[in-house]
Amino acid sequence: MSATAIENCRYCLMCRHAAPVGHVMHDETVTPHGIALVAASVNRGLLDWNPSSVDVLYAEPDTGNCRAHCVTDQRLPAAIAAIRAAVCAEGLAPPSVYQIHERLARTGSAFGERLASSGAADVALFVGDEAHNLRPACVTSVYALLRAIRVEVAPIGIGASTGYMACSLGFPETARTQALACLEEIRAAGARKVLVLAPVDLFAFRKLYPERLDITWPPDIELVDLATFLAAQLAKGTLRLCPGSGDATYIDPTHAVRTPERFGPVRELCDAALGQPPRELFWRRDRAHPVGSTALQFSRPDIAEALTRARLEDARRTGASTLLCEDPGTLHHLERYASEYGLTIHGLFNTLATLTRA
Amino acid sequence: MVGLQAEMIRSELEEVVGTPNLSTDDTARLVYATDWFWLPQMWLDRGEKPRKPDYIVRPGNAEEVSAILQIANTYRIPVIPWGGGSGSQGGALSIYGGIILDTKRMNRIIEIDEKSLTVTAQAGINGAQLEWALNDKGLMLPHYPASANCATLGGYLSPRGTGTISTKYGKAEDLVLSMQVVLPDGHIMRTPVVPQHAAGPDFYRLFLGAEGTLGVITEATMQLDYLPEARLLRAVLFENLADAIEAGRQIMTRRLDPFVIRLYDPRSTASRVKKILGYELEGAYMVIGFDGDKDLAALQEQKAMEIILRFGAKDLGREPGESWWNHRYDFYYPPQSLKLPWMYGTTETVTTYDKIEKLYYAEKRAVEEGFKDRDIDFIGHFSHWFHWGVMVYTRFIIKNPPEDAQEAVRLHNRVWNTAMTAVLENGGMVNEHHGVGLKLSRYMRRQYGDAWPLLERIKKALDPNRIMNPGKVGF
Repeated sequence: MSATAIENCRYCLMCRHAAPVGHVMHDETVTPHGIALVAASVNRGLLDWNPSSVDVLYAEPDTGNCRAHCVTDQRLPAAIAAIRAAVCAEGLAPPSVYQIHERLARTGSAFGERLASSGAADVALFVGDEAHNLRPACVTSVYALLRAIRVEVAPIGIGASTGYMACSLGFPETARTQALACLEEIRAAGARKVLVLAPVDLFAFRKLYPERLDITWPPDIELVDLATFLAAQLAKGTLRLCPGSGDATYIDPTHAVRTPERFGPVRELCDAALGQPPRELFWRRDRAHPVGSTALQFSRPDIAEALTRARLEDARRTGASTLLCEDPGTLHHLERYASEYGLTIHGLFNTLATLTRA
Repeated sequence: MVGLQAEMIRSELEEVVGTPNLSTDDTARLVYATDWFWLPQMWLDRGEKPRKPDYIVRPGNAEEVSAILQIANTYRIPVIPWGGGSGSQGGALSIYGGIILDTKRMNRIIEIDEKSLTVTAQAGINGAQLEWALNDKGLMLPHYPASANCATLGGYLSPRGTGTISTKYGKAEDLVLSMQVVLPDGHIMRTPVVPQHAAGPDFYRLFLGAEGTLGVITEATMQLDYLPEARLLRAVLFENLADAIEAGRQIMTRRLDPFVIRLYDPRSTASRVKKILGYELEGAYMVIGFDGDKDLAALQEQKAMEIILRFGAKDLGREPGESWWNHRYDFYYPPQSLKLPWMYGTTETVTTYDKIEKLYYAEKRAVEEGFKDRDIDFIGHFSHWFHWGVMVYTRFIIKNPPEDAQEAVRLHNRVWNTAMTAVLENGGMVNEHHGVGLKLSRYMRRQYGDAWPLLERIKKALDPNRIMNPGKVGF
């Protein structure tokens, strides 16, 4: 599969318009075609894996933008992750990649610590790594929202990486270990339904596990996106909110294109939070570009920063001074540079939590 | 390029564009060593070392382009403008090394004028991204090439590109009002604000079709249209190609204004239409579409269908026409697209209605008979129609080309020579919209005959050091 995508993509330019890194770096080399051509050329003996070619290999964001716009569904991100695995095994990856892997393998988290969970309930909330370690206020708000609709949840995966980061960096065995640990925790909680807070984790459970790690999500456990769940509660009247007001721009989170079914529900939540539809970015919905909240923040921080700044620049052009998003990782990266663009970053779940009423 | 001179040039370029916008490493140089031309792709595919550029620069504005060209003149090194790298003619190949000037950093929309319906943008903007921005305002740039996802605005103009809906809206060159161009000596110029006037000759059109051999287009103002209220598409099937061409001619000369007439020859109908759209048909498959206000489009369609049905064509209804429209770019995604290790080439050409059928069959016969031993496949579709004639997008495919790269080059060039000789001998142009590039450069003198020396003189006057994209467009 890996070799097929590389061969098919090496001379294909059809996702160029949607590919985020090429767009912000203006460089043919770091487009999906460029990266595939580099990998294909290594296979043909025209290049070897050296610091400059490995830098290119690690420029792919693994956010699914190329695949989301591919008519023939080439799995290039997975193919690149597989090549990174080979490069890592050869000891040729950048030092920062090994450093973050060491932390992931040791703690189960890329950003802090993974906490053990002990509760049990019919419904579990998969908190994840970024929410717990980078935006804890987001988690608090989510609990408040769930309390407001009288849903008792068992928090699981607190500070836990699902395996996405390890897999994306080129460590599939570590990813597999983390994935199995997550599934074990879910089973231990006895949940029949798992709410997932972050889009990256939803992608991991739904797609990355079966496609890259050969792990199947337990068929008897329902996997539900938290934002979609809350939007449904709002529509049913179970989630009752005070009228919101405000003028803000909504930014689709990193990995948004991998979960297009969320585009509508999350905007319904924004409507409720603002009392009006949010302003939209140019890079929105099925063409939503990521910020730097991917493995790029470790392997290619220059690109991670360029991606984040490009979204902030896009936001500034909409005219609103407030930027709204539900994803903890996206919020964390936006916040780093937002003030330089005269923008304030608000968490969607935080905003909604302030509007809850009995 | 190595040694002190290489470092001198590098340091000067770096000063102009900044370190992040200059690449000289082997990896980047290899990626920029091929565009979408079959030959260099095959060359790499066979593991052969390509001729790489020495430097890749990504200027952010015309002033930086100007400075780069001045450096190139000082050191007498080639400059090859690069847009999306999607050209199929080798126009962006650095066959003598030198500087690849990637325009993609110049990607800003400068102004959308909703009153005059124009957009001014830098030349490196991606086609699809520009279209998204216009669609957000209910507008469109009516140039829909198959390469829109990857090509740039400059890449639309430089080889005189044509899009899917050109039959109504014209080629890219028909949509441009004015341009900013950096001449080979670094002089930055702007052409007049509108193209239709009587203030002297139409000299700005020199840069359309020059493919970077006479300067670098850095900005353009393009004519827009409102997104149509309706697009009415349907498909029809003719028993034979001659009737289909004549029906198309009658529709065009009666000015019924279809935005698309896509006519597949019987061989293409049996292979590509079947493979991509899934329809198993015998004959000549035509998609025809009308757009704009729904009632007007419907009336135009009705008149066109009267003509079509007079030729005994079978009306296949809307679904296959709409299906073609919705999947019109699917033909270009691998593994559905033509791809290596096959050998293929698009020998598209254009001529007047009185010659087109004869030209098509002459080329088909020459290619099929000349390379029978290679089991060559020759397919075509007629897709850009004018009041006076039509383009035929002919292609050859050899599924078992030689494994040896040098032998493959020789076979490739023999097929092209055969096809182009047939085209030139039958009153066709060597190209309608892919441009000349490296591939067709050797036919330019034959194409233009006694008019060619004029172009040579212009080239010499504008680019005395011949730094601009050498080896292309006949120069």
